[in-house]
Amino acid sequence: MAAELKKAIYPENATIGLPTQHRFDPYTLNGGTIVGVAGDNFAILAGDTRLSEGFMIHSRDTSKIYKLTEKTFLGTCGFQGDVLTLTRLLNARLTMYEFEHRKKMSSTAISQMLSTVLYYRRFFPYYTFNILAGIDTDGKGCIYSYDAVGNYEKHTYHASGTASSMLQPLLDNQVGYLNQEGVRRVPLTIDKARTLIKDVFISATERDMYTGDSLHIVTITSDGVTEDHFPLRRD
Amino acid sequence: MTGKNCVAIAADRRFGIQAQTIGHEFQRIYGMSDHLYIGFSGLATDVTTVSNKLKFRLNMYMLRENREMKPETFMSLVSSLLYEKRFGPYFVEPVIAGLDKNAKPFVGSLDLIGCPMITEDFVVSGTASEQLYGMCESLWEPDLEADDLFESISQALLNAVDRDCVSGWGGIVYVIEKDKVTEKILKARMD
Amino acid sequence: MSERYSFSLTTFSPSGKLVQIEYALAAVAAGSPSIGIKVANGAVLATEKKYKSQLYDENSTHKVARITDKIGMVYSGMGPDYRVLLRKARKLAQEYQMKYQDSIPTSQLVEKVASVMQEYTQSGGVRPFGVSLLMAGTGDEGPYLYQCDPSGAFFAWKATALGKNHVNGKTFLEKRYNEEMELEDAIHTAILTLKESFDGQMTEDNIEIGVVNSSGFNRLSPSEVKDYLATI
Repeated sequence: MAAELKKAIYPENATIGLPTQHRFDPYTLNGGTIVGVAGDNFAILAGDTRLSEGFMIHSRDTSKIYKLTEKTFLGTCGFQGDVLTLTRLLNARLTMYEFEHRKKMSSTAISQMLSTVLYYRRFFPYYTFNILAGIDTDGKGCIYSYDAVGNYEKHTYHASGTASSMLQPLLDNQVGYLNQEGVRRVPLTIDKARTLIKDVFISATERDMYTGDSLHIVTITSDGVTEDHFPLRRD
Repeated sequence: MTGKNCVAIAADRRFGIQAQTIGHEFQRIYGMSDHLYIGFSGLATDVTTVSNKLKFRLNMYMLRENREMKPETFMSLVSSLLYEKRFGPYFVEPVIAGLDKNAKPFVGSLDLIGCPMITEDFVVSGTASEQLYGMCESLWEPDLEADDLFESISQALLNAVDRDCVSGWGGIVYVIEKDKVTEKILKARMD
Repeated sequence: MSERYSFSLTTFSPSGKLVQIEYALAAVAAGSPSIGIKVANGAVLATEKKYKSQLYDENSTHKVARITDKIGMVYSGMGPDYRVLLRKARKLAQEYQMKYQDSIPTSQLVEKVASVMQEYTQSGGVRPFGVSLLMAGTGDEGPYLYQCDPSGAFFAWKATALGKNHVNGKTFLEKRYNEEMELEDAIHTAILTLKESFDGQMTEDNIEIGVVNSSGFNRLSPSEVKDYLATI
């Protein structure tokens, strides 16, 4: 039987009679969402703790927030294999820096290094979407967001990951005061930022299949770091 | 979006072909009867065709039966119209907002071949639907009064379309109450 | 070849009458009687169902039939013609249901069935239906009783009678009917009206009754009819 005919008769077995093809797909999307918000004297980084693949949940308590230094944290999601490799590489680079320079790397320096590390793999990228949060040398909170190949930008707030398109417009509105007229732009407080982050994650969890289980929130100030967990929908 | 004895429907006003914006006064929401509105996202020519066909069928129904059509019934009508073209569909995703005769709000949406979905809170459709879901999920609450409902739906629309490069160029909102319908045009960023 | 015969059988007479329709009405007037009564909380349809031989199985066919949950009908005239209309009425009702996900109002169904009957007075190769229908139904707009004639004319009634002795039946109903009647009174009145012209003993097997109340349309079972007959 001609291959075309078989294809028409057995569309689900379209490869019958055709040469078997093999292809290596090196990437998986493991889902998840991260949000960073920076204030005058703090930075907050939050991410859900679900690790999934298609309709399968692999883990309900895998944090996407990684500690790089005492005042710099990395939120990262995308392909978990690359997430792990990237964070290990960064930790190695940070340790080497510390040995060579006898000091911790600053948040701003890490932000530039992360871009370089990502761009180094320009043609076989780490499939990761990153948000870096920390306190800069002036004691101010800072947030940097990255694409997979190292394009980055400093923000006061940003969302990345599978539910980013749901969260970002709300942050524009509530943190960036976009499309609001005649409101007083009060400086963001830690409490308000944390409440807002919880709210946006509750909303995202309602609609995004890949976001949920629980929320890991890291609050960075020049006085130290606090970590919280907040339960989210598990379905 | 539903409120307390009121319901609102909003849309952007862009008319474009892929990335090219052609017009910014496109009307994608149609008043079908006093308390029944429908909005479409999708192919502009199908938006006008489907709305005209619906208006025709609705008018025939109202003349024949000498009564207003219930929102639920109207949704079935839309569904059957779209399903008639099951294998060569109109490229539209309609959103229906209406009040029944007891002023109970109704919102529902359909896909392009007429699969209906009715919700208690809000429905969204179009290229900015993810953004709209995020906004509505946070801004909507039960039993909003007409003014608050207008504020919520407007903020939801404006902030959502600002994060979608093929939506925006102004907005239009209808707030439907038992004895009046308020139409407002929203100014937005035009880029 | 066949188109040579598809001329209109229903043709105006010089005096402006359609005699085919008059013959159809004559067939109705010769048919076994049926009664309809509408009251505030429902409606009732009743009919005589006599067979020529006692060897018939009385419960194999029915004259009172359900069209939708909320609408039922009965006829006077020719049984086979009725079954054609019943099938069409059911189909029309389901088409409406499918399109609107809403049950068809009685008035709409009557209008649709009447237009079918009218079509058979103006089409080629067909004859008018030899039946008049009584349709009773309920819905948002309350109970309704309609009559539908072979010409396609239809009327809403408070109470009426069709078939043999329909003139006497109507006179009887005119005396008995009042606006305060309840459904139970209507059922009794319907049976009494039938009884006026009934030859022989009335039993649960030779009459049929259909009732419309707030929950919809139902044909009474022989045992229910028997209970009503016992109270007369």
